[in-house]
Amino acid sequence: MTQNSEKNESPVLKSEAKSAVGQGRAGFFQKFVRMRSLSVLIIFILLGIVFTIFSSGHRFISRENIEVFLAFGSEFNIIALAVGMLMISGEFDLSVGSILVFCSFVFLKLVDTGMHAMPALFLTLLTGTIIGMVHGMITVKARIPSFITTLGAMLFWRGLTLFWSEGLQKPLESSQFPIFNAVLTGSIGGIVPVQFVWFVGIALILGFIVHFHKFGNWIFTTGDNKLAAKAMGINTDRVKVACFSVLGFICSFVAVMQIARVGVFSSRAGDGWELKAIAASVVGGTALTGGVGSIAGVFWGALIISVIENGLVVLRLPYAWTFTIFGVVLVSSVLISLTIEKRRLLLGAERRR
Amino acid sequence: MDSQSEIQEKKRKTSTPLVRMIDIDKFFGKVVALKGVNFEVKENEILGLVGDNGAGKSTLIKILSGFHQADRGEIYFEGNKVHIHSPKYAKRLGIETVYQEQALAPHISISRNVFMGREPTKFLGFMNRRKMDHDSLDTISKLGLRIKDTEAAVEALSGGQRQGVAIARVLYFKAKLVILDEPTMALSVKESQQVMEFMKQLKSEGISVIFITHNIFHAYNAAERFFILSHGEGLADLKKKDTSIDHLIELITSGRRE
Repeated sequence: MTQNSEKNESPVLKSEAKSAVGQGRAGFFQKFVRMRSLSVLIIFILLGIVFTIFSSGHRFISRENIEVFLAFGSEFNIIALAVGMLMISGEFDLSVGSILVFCSFVFLKLVDTGMHAMPALFLTLLTGTIIGMVHGMITVKARIPSFITTLGAMLFWRGLTLFWSEGLQKPLESSQFPIFNAVLTGSIGGIVPVQFVWFVGIALILGFIVHFHKFGNWIFTTGDNKLAAKAMGINTDRVKVACFSVLGFICSFVAVMQIARVGVFSSRAGDGWELKAIAASVVGGTALTGGVGSIAGVFWGALIISVIENGLVVLRLPYAWTFTIFGVVLVSSVLISLTIEKRRLLLGAERRR
Repeated sequence: MDSQSEIQEKKRKTSTPLVRMIDIDKFFGKVVALKGVNFEVKENEILGLVGDNGAGKSTLIKILSGFHQADRGEIYFEGNKVHIHSPKYAKRLGIETVYQEQALAPHISISRNVFMGREPTKFLGFMNRRKMDHDSLDTISKLGLRIKDTEAAVEALSGGQRQGVAIARVLYFKAKLVILDEPTMALSVKESQQVMEFMKQLKSEGISVIFITHNIFHAYNAAERFFILSHGEGLADLKKKDTSIDHLIELITSGRRE
């Protein structure tokens, strides 16, 4: 199944890689960022309209579906945010799904020992952070492309989890931790799923760090021109390791959030998320080469990816079609946003003259 | 008495060169990169460092900016003997090098580039963006460069303007000596002219400049003194009034002292 999903998604990634690089060269950073998130927002709204029109009884905008979308989709969206941040620093991570499944198994085992959910959560977060840090250290110290490091890590952690869990589903007994459940799986006022609140909150925090904190400036310069950053005394290795660690932390957090919601450990958790997360970042205007992107863009990019998934389910398309349509919508959404952008760039250039 | 000691102090200052490199040797394995080079930069001057490819210009500069260490010889900075063991230490002394490729991040705004790695902060490490925009604009206009929007990406600038941003950075952080490594390479005639204006601005701010170039015409235009390297040895040290373009070309191509 893993192989199947990869086969279907990798061509999408390639065509996006090209467009993202080309667009990176044409951009004017500040205005670019604002514009990009706007054009991605427009695509998101368009998709919403299409799904509403074509779903039977307009089920897409039913309250049930929106709740499912906000709860379920936010888990993936949160991870996409951290993947976007890492990509701005010029690195990749293909192991997010595997870190997730490994961490949810760690959490399950810790709770099984009779530990309270809160210390178990803390230890799982620590595990995820250390895993991310190790990926980062291997990448920068051994100077291996992160594509390779995390490809290896993807196989390693999922393999290890499959071996220990024997590939079986295992229930999580968490009903004795009401606060824990409320914080990670509840809803605010019985309407807004708490996962969505986490998504917005984490987006705000990462957004402030990436765009307003000096560390954010180091992330951008590291991804854009590593030599210049180094010459100015920025420890680019440390910047990258920090981004990997944050991603590991976020993956483990989502792992706990997800297993708390589902109540069952599945060895297929997070399957295929690594490519979807990269796709979300690229749709949101992150360059595959690093140094270009915005958290706002990734925010809407992630929503686009999850709305496509949700919409296709609501349209009740045969499962076999899901990936195909997913690919088509993905590439065309990038094309549309690029066209919008080019037109705006041209207008901007004329005004300057 | 006081005024006399002041005058003497002034005399000492003007007579002590900013940088003195004495009897510098540098080998890379068996290859002799520099042999017995004596080199100095005075306070507040633009020095043209010229010579053909492989003459040792960049080796000399890399020793001064801390990327290499000399195998023999001494370096004095403001009259004190120094051991420049790292680029960071060179920066701390006030020696800044502007390389063409390594200076700027193209997709990032001008003000963020000026403050790259040394961002002014308000609280908890959050950047003081108003100060960044204001101060970078201020410094850039001090150089005579007209840029309206420091939030624009460096990518939108011409080659000459980019050099200006990189030079504004060293000006803002109060360098004493700025080394410009081939700053006019790959620039149009007009842009090269602009970069040479920047050098004069740096001088008027009391900063010394080492201008490394292949282009004798550029060097002759901007510098007041010329140091010619040939095959790792100092060939000539000439003031502008004692030489001419033809003379400099003659020296570089023949590689011989007269």
